[in-house]
Amino acid sequence: MKISNGIFGSILLSLAVTACGASRPPAELVDARAAYAKAQASETASLVPAEIHIAQTSLDTAEREFKHDGNSGRTRDLAYVAMRVAQRAEVLGTLAVARGNAQSAERDREHLQTTIISDQKSKLQSAEGAIQEQNQELAKKQAELQNQRQLTEAERTARVAAEQKVKDAMDALARSTSVKSDTRGTVITLSGSVLFATNQAAILPGAQTQLNQVAEALKTQAERHFTIEGHTDNQGTDTVNAALSERRAAAVRDYLVVRGVAASAVSVKGVGASRPIADNKTTEGRAMNRRVEIIVGNDASAQN
Amino acid sequence: MARISKLCAAPIAALFMFACSSGSPKPIAQIASSEGAIRGANEAGAQSVPNAKLYVQMAQENRERALVLVEKDKNKQAEGLLMRSEADAELALAIARADRAARDAGKASERVEELKGSVTP
Repeated sequence: MKISNGIFGSILLSLAVTACGASRPPAELVDARAAYAKAQASETASLVPAEIHIAQTSLDTAEREFKHDGNSGRTRDLAYVAMRVAQRAEVLGTLAVARGNAQSAERDREHLQTTIISDQKSKLQSAEGAIQEQNQELAKKQAELQNQRQLTEAERTARVAAEQKVKDAMDALARSTSVKSDTRGTVITLSGSVLFATNQAAILPGAQTQLNQVAEALKTQAERHFTIEGHTDNQGTDTVNAALSERRAAAVRDYLVVRGVAASAVSVKGVGASRPIADNKTTEGRAMNRRVEIIVGNDASAQN
Repeated sequence: MARISKLCAAPIAALFMFACSSGSPKPIAQIASSEGAIRGANEAGAQSVPNAKLYVQMAQENRERALVLVEKDKNKQAEGLLMRSEADAELALAIARADRAARDAGKASERVEELKGSVTP
């Protein structure tokens, strides 16, 4: 009976210890509960539902162990693991946030980069368009310049050719008539005795060859103005001489116009005996004074 | 009766010791898991993140204590420490990854700001 009492007492003591242990959870389990509550209440919990669920399962396992075995070593181990799993769930929540931020920033960067590239492309296209326009404008101006050069060259060539033609014509004329230059321009002097009979204003047939040469020479200088002056000797009255000299100048003009010289380019003047070139006292002198002078102006505009 | 009690005491004690120390196989799988978890944390850069480094150290210590227990054939107790070690290492791994992600996010934000700065007239 003594022994029975001793065994019974031991059993009672053991039960008391066990009951006491069961009522007080180990520190690991307390920490695990707190860690889980913290993880579950965190702002990032909704981002990691699976991890929160795993933490809950771990804590449930530890709680069951505690309920079944009390403050055992296994209970403490499971509670420790549950605490770490809960802490890990919370950390993974911050990881998800960080990754979300990184992805968001990456999207922003890509969007920004796309915008920049698009903007640069647009600017490039504008610049290319402007360059193309400038190139076209440049090409146009170069073409115009080239045309002008060609035109200028053609004009120069034509002018040289025309001048040569004039020179040739005047040289040819100089071989049969008197051609000289003075302040009025180039003066072609035709002898009156060759052109007209005495006191007449009709051109002699024998003068036609010479006048034809004159006409050809004048036609090469279409842009110039011609003044045809009739001159007489001092025989007769001034009135008669003036009228005669003008009629003779007009006769020469009419002939030249018929031969192709522009009428508008020719003016006539009767000078009479007022501008002798030789002595009227001698026969030779008077013959020289009876003349027709065709003055080719240096500048057509100046003559007009 | 007292003699009977004395005769039974030795086998009961031996049985109790056997139950406490042996009877469980060596926790080979848990040892491997713990080692793998610690290696994973280190590879993730836990040693360069102070908070993660602390948990790696705890994992390592728990593991070493467990290995000592395994040597003493206290496999059940060792198994609990190995569970703790693995949990410590996995927490260290998560911290290291979170730190890396936070730094990546910071760099990405800096790149965005740089780009914004480059387009500002």
